[in-house]
Amino acid sequence: MTRVGRVRSETSAGWRSFVRRRTAVFFTFFFPVILIVIFGALVRTDPGGGGLFAEPPAYYVPGYLAVVVLFTPLSRMGSEVARHREGNRFEKLATTPLTRGEWLLAQTVVNAVIIGLASLLILALVIVLTGAEIAFSPLLVPYILVGVVCFNGIGAMLGSYTDSQDGAIAASNAIGLPLLFLSETFISLEQLPGWFEPLVNLSPLTYFARGVRAATASDAATSTVAGLDPALANLGILTAIAVVVFALGARSIPRTD
Amino acid sequence: MEAVVEATDLERTYGETVALAGASLAVERGEIFALIGPNGAGKTTLVRALTGTTEPDAGTARILGEPPTAIDRDRLGVLPQDFSPPDRLSARELLAYYAGLYDDPRDPDDVLADVGLVDAGDTWYEDLSGGQQRRACVGSTLVNDPDALFLDEPTTGIDPAGRRTMWRLIEELAADGTTVVLTTHDMAEAQRLADRVGLLADGSLVARGTPETLVRDHGGSSRLTIETAADVDAFDALEYPVERPERGRSRSGNADGAVVVRGIDPAEIGTVVDFLEGRELEYTKLSWSEPDLEDVYLELADETELERTDRVDEPEDNPDLARAGETA
Repeated sequence: MTRVGRVRSETSAGWRSFVRRRTAVFFTFFFPVILIVIFGALVRTDPGGGGLFAEPPAYYVPGYLAVVVLFTPLSRMGSEVARHREGNRFEKLATTPLTRGEWLLAQTVVNAVIIGLASLLILALVIVLTGAEIAFSPLLVPYILVGVVCFNGIGAMLGSYTDSQDGAIAASNAIGLPLLFLSETFISLEQLPGWFEPLVNLSPLTYFARGVRAATASDAATSTVAGLDPALANLGILTAIAVVVFALGARSIPRTD
Repeated sequence: MEAVVEATDLERTYGETVALAGASLAVERGEIFALIGPNGAGKTTLVRALTGTTEPDAGTARILGEPPTAIDRDRLGVLPQDFSPPDRLSARELLAYYAGLYDDPRDPDDVLADVGLVDAGDTWYEDLSGGQQRRACVGSTLVNDPDALFLDEPTTGIDPAGRRTMWRLIEELAADGTTVVLTTHDMAEAQRLADRVGLLADGSLVARGTPETLVRDHGGSSRLTIETAADVDAFDALEYPVERPERGRSRSGNADGAVVVRGIDPAEIGTVVDFLEGRELEYTKLSWSEPDLEDVYLELADETELERTDRVDEPEDNPDLARAGETA
């Protein structure tokens, strides 16, 4: 069996396992929807009005997408890795030809499909409920894919270094929530203290948000990166981070006790 | 003969706990080797060290001539203890999933038939009974037709008929050349299946050999168990050794109200009956048995258990425990 065959088998099992958990499927899609309804339709943006949500609706598209691109891999991978550990599944898999990288790749494919579908739903809702005017750039696809790869790697590390499913979910929330709000998603850099900017630059989600905004919001003032198109440059940075984080995530998956 | 599985002086500790203390064994091609021993004796750690899922602190392990982490995984089948596979796949999907990880897998339907799950093939794993789940887990180790098979308590939770199906399957695999190392708490299973048995206690193999050899060397003599309310002193005049089984050591679970006569030939049982009737000693049941692997286990494993218990019961031997006792 080739590498492709092994990943296909693992992906197929992972996909079936996910779609057969109806509550997991429901809340994966419900969570971003409720967020858009609350912030996009109820709170509403107030462009030029100061305070939070003072930007045009299109500014917040990366934030809404980040809800699934960030949280789904963190929580799903964290709990999946913990579940595998608790059921001695990694002990079993360590004695098969499947490598840790292949296992993580298969989980990434499953998450990419789930998050791709959720992203389509989010984009449709954002346009309908908030009236956001966005450009449908093809770069959205690689941004979502690379984002999933990156946060899947982080989720795998969370699952590997926490001692239970509960611990993995708690850790993913503790890490995910600050990242979601402090990565130029919902809160612009100008609204944060100046000393905080280096920390914002440490977040992989920042490059996702800046790049997606540059690709989708034509009127957004996104600065260039070393003179390069910000949509492409941020994708490059995010890709580099994703490669490193994926490798670290795969390496963190236990093969021995 | 070719040694397919070899371990030499394996040692492994977890903090203060010694799981393996110099365990060595060699298992030949087509042999079934059963590891028995009390809980915490090191059986699972030994299996893990042999399959490369734990790194020993010292010693070496080899499978098919290779270190466990370097072996071609297509030749290896492993059932971990407490293994819980994805639970929302059907039994057939589960076997197809594991088969998909190998180069030249068997047809999952053939494996389903081997483990007796044809009728439950479309049932989700979580909806199978405990015994059926264990059968599916055993099936997951057979999808690649392994040369070396490690089964950690393969028949736990399986009903007697299903257990016999598993036994026949393992015997057929061994007859076809598969080398099998299994752990079990079921002495009947070890006696029926194993070509050789290793008894592990406190991380060391304290005895190993064919079941017959172990029984001969450590099993003691035959026993005639008399279920009676009479005091054991009433049997002093009998010309055979008599013992009242210690609590927890009775084979039939009736330590209270039973007397065991040792080393008696079946042809001599009439002598005992005459003795009982002559002295008007009432009894409800007589049963005679040859020594078996359970006697070996109780003899050897109990020594370790008693040593442990004695250590706990006698805190003066352990200054820390003694101090703890004083404080309490």
